[in-house]
Amino acid sequence: MEEIVMESDSADVSAAAPQLGVGAAWDTVTTALMSPGCSVPEQSLSDSLVLLCGRGLGRLLGGWLLETLQMRLSSSVVPEFWSGLKQPENELEERGRAWVLLTAFRTLLSRLEPFLGGLETLGTWQQEGRSSLCGPGPRGLQELAFTIIRALLLFSPAPVLQERVLEFYSRTFSVYMNQQGEAEDGAEAPDGPEGGACRGCGVPTQQCWCQEALEQLQELSRILSKLQLLEWVSSEAVTSILHRLIEQRMEQHCRGEYERSFLLEFQEWLELVLGWLSKVFASEADGESPVPAPSAPSTPGVPSTPGVPSMQGNQPASSVLKQWRCHMHQFFCRIYVNMRIEELFSIIRDFPESKAAIEDLKFCLERTNQRQQLLTSLKSAFESRLLHPGVHTSDILTVYISAIKALRELDPSMVILQVACQPIRKYLRTREDTVRQIVAGLTGDAEGCTDLASELSRGDPVTLEMQDSDEEGNDPEDWTPDPTDAVPDKMGSKRRSSDIISLLVSIYGSKDIFIDEYRAVLADRLLHQLNYNTAREIRNVELLKLRFGESHMHYCEVMLKDMADSRRINSNIREEESRLSEEEQPPLSLSSIILSSEFWPPLKEEKLELPPLVCQAMEAYTHRYEKLKAMRTLSWKPHLGSVTLDVELEDRTLSNLTVSPIHAAIILHFQEKSSWTLEELSVKLGAPKELVHRKLALWQQHGVLREEAGGRYYVVETGSSKEKLERGVMLIDSDEERDSNTTTQSEQREEKLQLFWAYIQAMLTNLDSMALDRIHSMLRMFVATGPVVTEMDVNELEAFLQRKVREHQLTVSAGVYRLPKSN
Amino acid sequence: MKVKIRQWNGVASWLWVANDENCGICRMPFNGCCPDCKVPGDDCPLVWGQCSHCFHMHCILKWLNSQQVQQQCPMCRQEWKFKE
Repeated sequence: MEEIVMESDSADVSAAAPQLGVGAAWDTVTTALMSPGCSVPEQSLSDSLVLLCGRGLGRLLGGWLLETLQMRLSSSVVPEFWSGLKQPENELEERGRAWVLLTAFRTLLSRLEPFLGGLETLGTWQQEGRSSLCGPGPRGLQELAFTIIRALLLFSPAPVLQERVLEFYSRTFSVYMNQQGEAEDGAEAPDGPEGGACRGCGVPTQQCWCQEALEQLQELSRILSKLQLLEWVSSEAVTSILHRLIEQRMEQHCRGEYERSFLLEFQEWLELVLGWLSKVFASEADGESPVPAPSAPSTPGVPSTPGVPSMQGNQPASSVLKQWRCHMHQFFCRIYVNMRIEELFSIIRDFPESKAAIEDLKFCLERTNQRQQLLTSLKSAFESRLLHPGVHTSDILTVYISAIKALRELDPSMVILQVACQPIRKYLRTREDTVRQIVAGLTGDAEGCTDLASELSRGDPVTLEMQDSDEEGNDPEDWTPDPTDAVPDKMGSKRRSSDIISLLVSIYGSKDIFIDEYRAVLADRLLHQLNYNTAREIRNVELLKLRFGESHMHYCEVMLKDMADSRRINSNIREEESRLSEEEQPPLSLSSIILSSEFWPPLKEEKLELPPLVCQAMEAYTHRYEKLKAMRTLSWKPHLGSVTLDVELEDRTLSNLTVSPIHAAIILHFQEKSSWTLEELSVKLGAPKELVHRKLALWQQHGVLREEAGGRYYVVETGSSKEKLERGVMLIDSDEERDSNTTTQSEQREEKLQLFWAYIQAMLTNLDSMALDRIHSMLRMFVATGPVVTEMDVNELEAFLQRKVREHQLTVSAGVYRLPKSN
Repeated sequence: MKVKIRQWNGVASWLWVANDENCGICRMPFNGCCPDCKVPGDDCPLVWGQCSHCFHMHCILKWLNSQQVQQQCPMCRQEWKFKE
């Protein structure tokens, strides 16, 4: 019975259904789906559904809905949206434009809502398996719908949308920031003069629409997120706003400010901005969420690349925010690095003060991939601002030292330092006075840079590369590979030194040059000293010994010992003299520095005949010395040393003048004869005329001598007119430079090159002709005795050979050198 | 005009009164020091033999110590005697 009833029931239904008609059933269902407002009786709805499903039409429902949506969109909704957006052309002011934007979206939403609702209902049915409906469920259906909406709506978006959105977001941003008490002190916030303007919305206070703007923002966000258009419509605008704002803020706050760290400050500010972002992307999290939360268990902390909103708006807002936080941080780092890269030269120049900026930059640089950019820019900054003839060598060195200090902070692997400073090192190699400047810096003589001296006295030999070169003590766990931009060289990272002195010294690739130069400087200093006080030099030599090793400083030690010995010998001789009777007392108080000639740098040889008085004193001194040290004698360098004397004139006395021996000799000659010609003096002194002329200038300056026509010099016994004297002082240019007593580096080098000349001649005689490289390698092979060859590079040799060519001692054709045919 | 010299600081280099430049044994300059020494002069003196040849003291002593049979001047092969 029951079975029959059942059957009849079903027969009833199936019988009733045709009565209803498929068409009517379809209409019922679609009405139920499309207009949730009008209530379709549940019974008839389910009847219709069953009917449709029975006929296999159930699965078409979804397709139909989407199709309808698509048609409606393309025929009316989309055009309406765009025209609504564009409609008021440019007449409205900002507030009105915001309103239009919002209205356009509102209309869009109201047009689309029926479809979305229908799809949801259908999806629910499908999920419930009602009348054996099956399909992708509400989520799947809606996903499809949103894809269609996006595709049709944003297929060809007019720029006006972006403009409006950008404007609206910028405004709400400034409103928000203003409300947060973080008034933007930018151009947008005119305060004071214009007075009464709201700092948020930029219009007079009475018309302030801040609150309204925020509410509009909230609504817009809600609509967009409902239509899942949020990411598509806003990200671009938000990105560009953030970019602009960060840039603006950085320009205002950070540019030119190196002494303060901005990281924290910006971090705080970014958090504030994030508050605004959370309003923009507020969406479902706090609104009525159309999709229940368990959506995507989004993977936190994995930022997707900006601009590609791969994750859709249907995930919790917090994860979107997290993404944006990442983006923002990335923006910040990038912008910061860009700005600092531009300024890096100045930052380096101010280094110890700009440490904060370097640290910030280091932090950001680790997060952006801009090392290459930094290197290129810094290199070109060095080249354009530093490495040209207008810059003094000591300034280049100062910057280089700062660069070493700054860049080793920035990049502990030293790769940036090594690569970026390559041009500086190369350039310094071409400057003649580099070595002298460095040595002067080391000994604390240089005017500007005291860095080197303090660096030297820091004297921490453990950190020096020479000492730790063979040490393998590092924990292998701590090993980090070199950055990819490292210059592959045999040195390896371990030898990449950060020690300022080693770096400077290695400019030339050899410390011998520096030691020679130091020796020359030391010799100068010692010879110019009036007393035998060498405490400072001893200290320097000891410090340098730590750097360069004992054996290299050996010569300097002997020089210092000579000073001590001289002092002892002097006092010995003095003592001996003091025992003499009154009349035997020497007429001249003579003391001497006695050198071990083999250990001092080559001293300039100058001929000078001293007055007999002095010669006698020297002879007497030599005698005493010979008595003191058997089988040894002295060879005087008459032009070296110093003389302290008084010049007594009729009306005035110049006392305690310290002059060089030749000055003293000149004035002593004037004592016996009050007028001399230049020639006479030159003969008398055995010195070239130009030299005597130059030296006379000192006495002219002091107003002791005057030159008259015919090259005669007279003693000015009475300083009758003081003004005249002073004018004389003004007029005579003092070319009295403090002559160095030692031959210069280049002169010494010249001598060494001359030594090669014999070899080269011999080679060319035997082999007829040779190319430059060949000559160089041959020299390397044969003249392997000294450190000289290794220091001479091909360029230097080429320059030398070129000179020989100019002097017609060589001929060159097609890069091949040969000796000229002797006639 | 009268010039009064208070102090004259001269510069001179010392040298051995020898008839040669270099030591015949180590070939180093007399005014330097022998290879074993660091400091010239008093610390590395010269000595003269009766044959009038002279050497760094350290050099000739080393030489003499190495000669088992007869102690000769390395230059002239005469018997080595220090010059008093």
